[in-house]
Amino acid sequence: MRLLLVEDDALLGDGIRAGLMLAGYAVDWVRDGKLALNALLDHDYDACVLDLGLPGMDGMAVLTELRKQGRRLPVLVLTARDTREDKIGGLDCGADDYLTKPFDLAELQARLRALLRRAGGVASPLLSHAGVELDPATKRVSKLGQEIQLSAREYALLLDLLSHPRHVRTRAQLEESLYAWGEETDSNTVEVYVHHLRKKLGADFIRTVRGLGYQLGNDS
Amino acid sequence: MRQRAGATHSLRQRLLRAVSVATLLAWSLTGVFSYQKAQHEAEELMDGHLAQSARLLLALVRDNEDHLGDLASRLATVRGAHDNIYEPPLEFQIGRSDGTVLLRSTDAPALPVLGVAGHSDIERESESWRVLNMPSADGKYRIQVAQSIALRDQAALEVAGQTVFPVFVVLPLLLLLIYFSVRTVLRPLDALAEDVAARTPDTLSPLPERNVPQEVAPLVGALNRLFGRLGTTLENERRFTADAAHELRTPLATLKVQSQVAMLSRDPQIRDHALQQIENGVDRATRLVNQLLRLARLDPMSQLENSQAFDLRGIVTETLQAVRNANPHFTQVIVEDLPEHPQIVQGDPELLAIAIRNLIDNAIRYSGLASTIRIHTHDDGRRCSLSIRDNGPGVPPDIQSRLGERFFRNRDTNVEGNGLGLAIVARIVELHGGHLTAGNHPEGGFEARLDGLQQVVGET
Repeated sequence: MRLLLVEDDALLGDGIRAGLMLAGYAVDWVRDGKLALNALLDHDYDACVLDLGLPGMDGMAVLTELRKQGRRLPVLVLTARDTREDKIGGLDCGADDYLTKPFDLAELQARLRALLRRAGGVASPLLSHAGVELDPATKRVSKLGQEIQLSAREYALLLDLLSHPRHVRTRAQLEESLYAWGEETDSNTVEVYVHHLRKKLGADFIRTVRGLGYQLGNDS
Repeated sequence: MRQRAGATHSLRQRLLRAVSVATLLAWSLTGVFSYQKAQHEAEELMDGHLAQSARLLLALVRDNEDHLGDLASRLATVRGAHDNIYEPPLEFQIGRSDGTVLLRSTDAPALPVLGVAGHSDIERESESWRVLNMPSADGKYRIQVAQSIALRDQAALEVAGQTVFPVFVVLPLLLLLIYFSVRTVLRPLDALAEDVAARTPDTLSPLPERNVPQEVAPLVGALNRLFGRLGTTLENERRFTADAAHELRTPLATLKVQSQVAMLSRDPQIRDHALQQIENGVDRATRLVNQLLRLARLDPMSQLENSQAFDLRGIVTETLQAVRNANPHFTQVIVEDLPEHPQIVQGDPELLAIAIRNLIDNAIRYSGLASTIRIHTHDDGRRCSLSIRDNGPGVPPDIQSRLGERFFRNRDTNVEGNGLGLAIVARIVELHGGHLTAGNHPEGGFEARLDGLQQVVGET
């Protein structure tokens, strides 16, 4: 799962990015409104955490423009403005959720999980497929009730596949989901993590779609 | 205008009192004069009657000389009664010119019939009489008519009283009319008071200036101007509070998030980084709080509390030393362009040092790593000025006018700042009677100038 964080404050942005990465997301961070809009239009993010007071272009304007371009990704707005008018204005501009500074990191993570879940059309907080269950809140994965240990990257890959249960995910999409900007990748890493997951969850759990990418196997 | 008991005086009551007293006074004087005049006229009238009666009697006596006895008994039945004050009994004596009395009424005063001719007041046996003595035209007879003064006075009083009576009957009605008139005329004041009372800090809309009485219009105008100024002040206050709340929340959010990252992470590298960021965050919050407190202290000051004469150059050099001590590694070149002679100015050296420090720090932070910063002081014998100019990129022209606005900062730079520095400088210079100019220099770079510092001459 790949998120865009838009926050101009260096110290706060650094903290939120660290907090979101701890939750298993790949996080890109920009500090300017115009850059944020470009990144959102150019890349396929699963969600965006958007501060409103931004240099370059105001957060509200970014949001308005994004929705005008037909992008429907979930956007969680962060702001220090806490009047009722501000909240209503933010939601009416196309925000999906709203957090007022200062906020709790766990709450931010939980709200993001809820947003991502709803965006994937899933009502249950647990993601499951073929006897494998993933709880995004606790980052626990189990198979037939048995807990399974995954590395951070394996977890991120599994989360991506379970969040798009009926889609074929290309290798590029999966890579985007695993790595933030600037992180080193080598060409066969996605294959490596798919291999690890198959070993831990069963060979049929992930199906290779030749020439396209990967998909969850049949629910047997 | 509702009246608090005893606390204030009421225009309405004063007006009512003044008009009522004046009316009462004028009315009473009118009453007294009318009374006296009526009394006097009544007396004249009665004297006239007396004379008429005397002439009538004389005529009767001359025509009835032969049977005067009959005349006396007939006159006794028509000469008035005691119970009718407008017709007091007429007493008379009729005699010959030699003094013999021919005829007299029963109660006539015992007087010689040959008195001095004409009207006179006479006292006889504890009763006062108005007497008229008159000889007949041929001088054969002498007549004397008299009226009791007590009865005459009673009649005169009655006449005067009846004349004045309506004046006093009308008086309460008049007072009532005055009361209602004053109330009606002053009603616009009550309406205005209610209007003003309805205003709250949130609804400082101007009072209607149309249909306002001429005398009250200046007051309404002054109130409206006051409301205007008050509204602006309150609005600034509200915006500052909102901005301050906004600016304080970001550092708090930083501390919260970074400390939660430190707690959640098991990776020592991430944890140490988060802890380091917490420290940076606390430093930043401390700066912000210090600046806010400094502004809060400067704002209510109307003049410098600790004003003295000192050499401006000395403060510049000291401040620069402090800057060098605080950031030993800064890379900019700072040039001190100060004159040889002392520049004694009047002011608070500590506050001016804070202002200069803020400006130098700004220049270091915003002008780029390789810039040159030039500090120059100038005096013309009356005023001193100080300029801090760099050869950096300056600021975008569109934000130039907003520099010095509280919490405004150029967000297009990556430099941390809270947007209060220039506001503090501007306030300090204002307290010194000068003003701050900050903006791009026509020949490039950014310049901040403090102008109008008061120079002390005659001291070396």
